[in-house]
Amino acid sequence: MKLTTLFSTAALAGLLSGTPVLAQDITGEVTLLTWKTASDLTTLHKVEAAFAAKHPGVTFKEVIASFTGDPRGGLRTVLLGGEPIDLIDNTWPAFRAELANAGLIRPIDDLWAKENFDARLDPSWKALGQTDGTTYGVQYIYGDRSSWYYLNKTLEKAGVTPPATWDDFLGQIPKFRAVDVTPVSLPAKAWAHGEWFETLLLRVGGVELASKLARHEIPWTDPQVRETLLKFKQAIDAGAFADANTVLGIEWDNAAEQVLKAGTAGYVHIGMWVSQYSADTFGITPGKDFGLTQFPALGLGHDDTSTVDATEYLAGASGKNPAAVDAFLTFLTTAEAANIFAADGYIVPSKEADTSLYNPIVKAANAAVSGKKLSFVFGDQLPGDLVDEYRVQLQKFIQDPSEANVDVVLAAIEAKAAESY
Amino acid sequence: MTQSAARVVSANVDGAESREPTGSRRKPVAGGWDRAEIVAALILLTPALVLFAVAVLYPLADTIRLSFFDVKGLAAPKYAGLGNYFKLFADPTFRNTIAVTLLFTLTTTALTVGIGWVLAVLCALAPRETLFFRFVFFTAFGISDAVAGYMWITFFRPDQAGTLNAFLNAIGLGQLQHSWLGDPATAIWAIIATATWSGVGLPLLICFASAQSISKSIIEAAHVDGARPLSIMRHIIMPLSLPGVRVALFINLLGSLRAFDVIYVLTQGGPVRSTETLGFFMFKESFAQFKLGYGAAATVVLLIAVLIISVPAIAQRTAGAK
Repeated sequence: MKLTTLFSTAALAGLLSGTPVLAQDITGEVTLLTWKTASDLTTLHKVEAAFAAKHPGVTFKEVIASFTGDPRGGLRTVLLGGEPIDLIDNTWPAFRAELANAGLIRPIDDLWAKENFDARLDPSWKALGQTDGTTYGVQYIYGDRSSWYYLNKTLEKAGVTPPATWDDFLGQIPKFRAVDVTPVSLPAKAWAHGEWFETLLLRVGGVELASKLARHEIPWTDPQVRETLLKFKQAIDAGAFADANTVLGIEWDNAAEQVLKAGTAGYVHIGMWVSQYSADTFGITPGKDFGLTQFPALGLGHDDTSTVDATEYLAGASGKNPAAVDAFLTFLTTAEAANIFAADGYIVPSKEADTSLYNPIVKAANAAVSGKKLSFVFGDQLPGDLVDEYRVQLQKFIQDPSEANVDVVLAAIEAKAAESY
Repeated sequence: MTQSAARVVSANVDGAESREPTGSRRKPVAGGWDRAEIVAALILLTPALVLFAVAVLYPLADTIRLSFFDVKGLAAPKYAGLGNYFKLFADPTFRNTIAVTLLFTLTTTALTVGIGWVLAVLCALAPRETLFFRFVFFTAFGISDAVAGYMWITFFRPDQAGTLNAFLNAIGLGQLQHSWLGDPATAIWAIIATATWSGVGLPLLICFASAQSISKSIIEAAHVDGARPLSIMRHIIMPLSLPGVRVALFINLLGSLRAFDVIYVLTQGGPVRSTETLGFFMFKESFAQFKLGYGAAATVVLLIAVLIISVPAIAQRTAGAK
């Protein structure tokens, strides 16, 4: 028997035996598509290094989609470019559905069962990674999007503590104004003003209302949606924000700077990435210098709700290294990977994470969303052209928060929604 | 040496070219060219033609093709006929875009070329002494629009971190502080100011070159006749530098019409779409929302607008060429 035939027979026997993939079998390059930069990318490098330490034959090639605003444009451009992609970083359920419909990602239900992900991830995380009942995503970090950030010394200067209720908050506005501090920085230049609407929507009508509106099962002119904008109007009328022209000129990073560096504004309602961003950029310490509090309770029966975002990895259908991808997705659910994220300031869905690694901000956020009724970021659930109209109309509402304009704004969004679904 | 290679090209007294073969002439095949010349010409032209086809004709044809399809995200394209065009002109956002584009293009061009021309004429009076000045202005033109945008975003910031507002405050004009990019009424003018600052170097250079080409004997004759510098500027340099102004107008109109970078960086089309030009609309539809067919239709409309401006200008200059 020739030597080559002998090797071939042995290899075939190995394949047919169904032996699990061993660490030493996993080699080669893994191409990973992401939009992450700065501290997010640094953490990703740590995770990649930890994985590569277990599988020395594996190397990572990152394809970073450039963007300003919505990264999906950059991700789509890379995917249409045709480069084989093994792993795709994703945070939008609608984008996952788009990728699945285009055949660009592969299901991982078999992997989930084989590697018993259920032992490390609650069923709700599996559901969040599914499209039409098929599992595609492994959620590895998530964030609380119903929280406000503040600088401790600014609150001390105004003589206030984080407000528990809406009325507490409205009562604090004159105290901030008295020390020449804008109570809330509202970054309305592009998209971040939507955070206010989205949390108010949840607190006015609960997860069900937000879900129905996102699917356009109720019109935008629904009385509860109107009530949401009227609550927003209440804050505007009470002087919670700077004037309309000012808020329309600032982005989330300017707002973070005003609140967490300059101390010219009291609170900012934004996602959790601002915690690590501020610690890195402004050199402030979570807990010691700055804190996080939940959106004040409205008392309308839905204060047990929160908006969350989550990030997942998807297995690319065009990838050249599925074995390494499966091993990496499995690794993401383990204590080792979870603890890297936890130590770097992220909340981790894996039950194996050591929560003592969380900094005070992450602990507070984790405690705040535990046991709450959760809704995924509302804007990320809307069709692309509708979300653009929705954000522009909210800007128009901020310019003119009169009741008459509330109706005009909602009618305009409804008109766009009617053609978007 | 081949017969065609040995051809001598010379100009006769009235400027027309004449070809004088050095040896016996082959029988012409077409237009006075023999077969070997045609083959040589085709071989020499092929690289340029291939490059033109790949870099210009194919993308152009594909964009026009794409404009007839409904493409949403990564989904398969569906044939839509003229649907995208009908939708485009019924879209109030697009109509707003046309108005913003006209305001931006005409104002930026008028300011850029106007300022560039005036500076060029002034520089032409003392070319050596203004060398550094011209260099500085042209350096601004060399900075990419995106980088210029990032520089100016700090300048226009609404709070005290904004250079303009801090300056106004420092000189006791704090009441004039404003959210320049957040107010729809001022955002477009802030962008026009940025684009003008960034673009004035090119018309300055073109108009200066045009002014420099004016025969010195004309200016000397004016001096001899007792003309003052202002009169020389008004009656000689300005009118005779107009060909340069026309070229600068043409280039700036096209550049402004396609403007994107500076708008993307400064305002992202906002607030409330007050700075959304055709170039930005095209980007938003094509790359942010990934409605490639709709974005392609907007691109074709922009292309037609560019052709409307450029074809008559090119035709005029070609007709005038000897």
